[in-house]
Amino acid sequence: MSTTPADVERTVVDFLTRLEKLPAEFDATTPLYADGVGLDSLETAELSALLEDEHGSDPFSTGDLPQTLAEIQAFYAPVGA
Amino acid sequence: MIELVRRVVREEPDRLALVTGRATLDYADLLAAALRVAAVLRADGITRFAVADFEADVVLPCLLGASATGAEACILPPDDAATVADLVARFGHEVVLTDRTDLDLPATRLVPTSAWLTPELQAADAELQAVDAELQAVDAARPHLVLTTGTTGKPRGVRQDWARLVRSTARVADGRGERWLLAYGLHQFAGLQILLHTMAAGATLVAPAPRRPREGLAAMRTYDVTHASATPTYWRFLLAELRSDGGPVPALQQITLGGEAAPGPVLDQLRATFATANLSHVYAASEFGATGSTRDGRPGLPIEVLERGDDADIAMKVVDGELWVRSRIGMLGYHGEPEVDPDTWRATGDLVEVVDGRILFRGRASEIINVGGVKVHPLPIEETVAAVPGVAVARVFGRPNAMTGAIVAVEVVPEPDADPDAVKAAVRDACAGLPAAARPRSVRIVDAVQTAGDKIVRRTGEQ
Repeated sequence: MSTTPADVERTVVDFLTRLEKLPAEFDATTPLYADGVGLDSLETAELSALLEDEHGSDPFSTGDLPQTLAEIQAFYAPVGA
Repeated sequence: MIELVRRVVREEPDRLALVTGRATLDYADLLAAALRVAAVLRADGITRFAVADFEADVVLPCLLGASATGAEACILPPDDAATVADLVARFGHEVVLTDRTDLDLPATRLVPTSAWLTPELQAADAELQAVDAELQAVDAARPHLVLTTGTTGKPRGVRQDWARLVRSTARVADGRGERWLLAYGLHQFAGLQILLHTMAAGATLVAPAPRRPREGLAAMRTYDVTHASATPTYWRFLLAELRSDGGPVPALQQITLGGEAAPGPVLDQLRATFATANLSHVYAASEFGATGSTRDGRPGLPIEVLERGDDADIAMKVVDGELWVRSRIGMLGYHGEPEVDPDTWRATGDLVEVVDGRILFRGRASEIINVGGVKVHPLPIEETVAAVPGVAVARVFGRPNAMTGAIVAVEVVPEPDADPDAVKAAVRDACAGLPAAARPRSVRIVDAVQTAGDKIVRRTGEQ
């Protein structure tokens, strides 16, 4: 399972596209909730399950709540990178 | 139970009783084999034993022999050696009949099947007749131990009484000429029911091994099976096998479903595939026995079953959306626990809803998915998914999730020629109208879904 930033971005973008919630100006710093993408709790739960399926683990299960794509990518970054 | 066999032997001793892939026994053969087992049990003073063997030509004589002598038999499930060892220890079995070489049971007496079942090592016919005469004079309890399938936890031992079990067959009609498929293991209560029904009807039991849908379909074709009873999950897989191999459709006269709620789409598919078969379903459990058969081919039970009155062997009522049963033909009690009062009402764990005069099953209480505080029943979602074109089998369950406690997850076994991505998209589309908490948040394509005893496992966390 690849956890490169590009692959994680593809997972997130495909997910948001399927939900029809991908903002036109989406980038790694766009907030995932509220006025940003606007994910609700169930959609966030869905994203966490998808990340686990696609990349073997997910940042939400550690108790954190990543706010942006960049924070999700950071979770998968090798330690010390 | 052996009296059911004796009755056929008196009428027609060479009527076919049992067909397996390796053995064919008429009723006289079966009675003789049972009496041999009974003779050994009495000679060795065995009052309790387990059988670790799957073949019906081994298990059936053991059940009959035990029921004749009053010994408590327990048929173990065909599990790996460690699981069998655990069951033997938990239920305190000191004698196990088996030919398995992988069992490490140092504190248990392992007996090879040949010691009880090989004719030349056993008594002659005259001696067997003497044994039979003695056994018919025995007035003892006839216990039997059934292990539950463990779909809601570790298997429990359910103590049955053969007299009560046989009582439930009182209204079985003469079924000579019928060939019943044994789709369940004889370690399961449902398998015992088929056995009792077949013997009470004087019919023939067709018992392929292993009891998977593929072997079941092959046995239907090879042995001209006329009647078959299985779980909806088994039937779903058998229908998938049938579509996949393109072979002839068996000429079934009777199809029975039990063990799980029978979803409407499965009933529709069975009706379309086996056009000449009668369709019925039974509601039964190890604990309370069989409540009867519903023959109108519709899902659920007619509401009239709630009006049986105090004199009925089995009565039912609905309490807070759950079905309760009072049974006088049910279990004696759980292994290691006091006997239960046959007049006590017990919750079944089956959640129901009364709609238009029908009691519809909505799933097991233990299967409810708690999605952020919202209780979701998996069964209606599973029915929605199973009806999607390209879906062969679906399983809906609760998947643990840090955000909401659990989410609704679905696993799909696609039809052989279906495009997996298209199936996933179609499943999502089909569920788009469901309430947000009930919408599957995880859709995965798998080769097989998790089952226990041919029932789909839907407990939260079972992935």
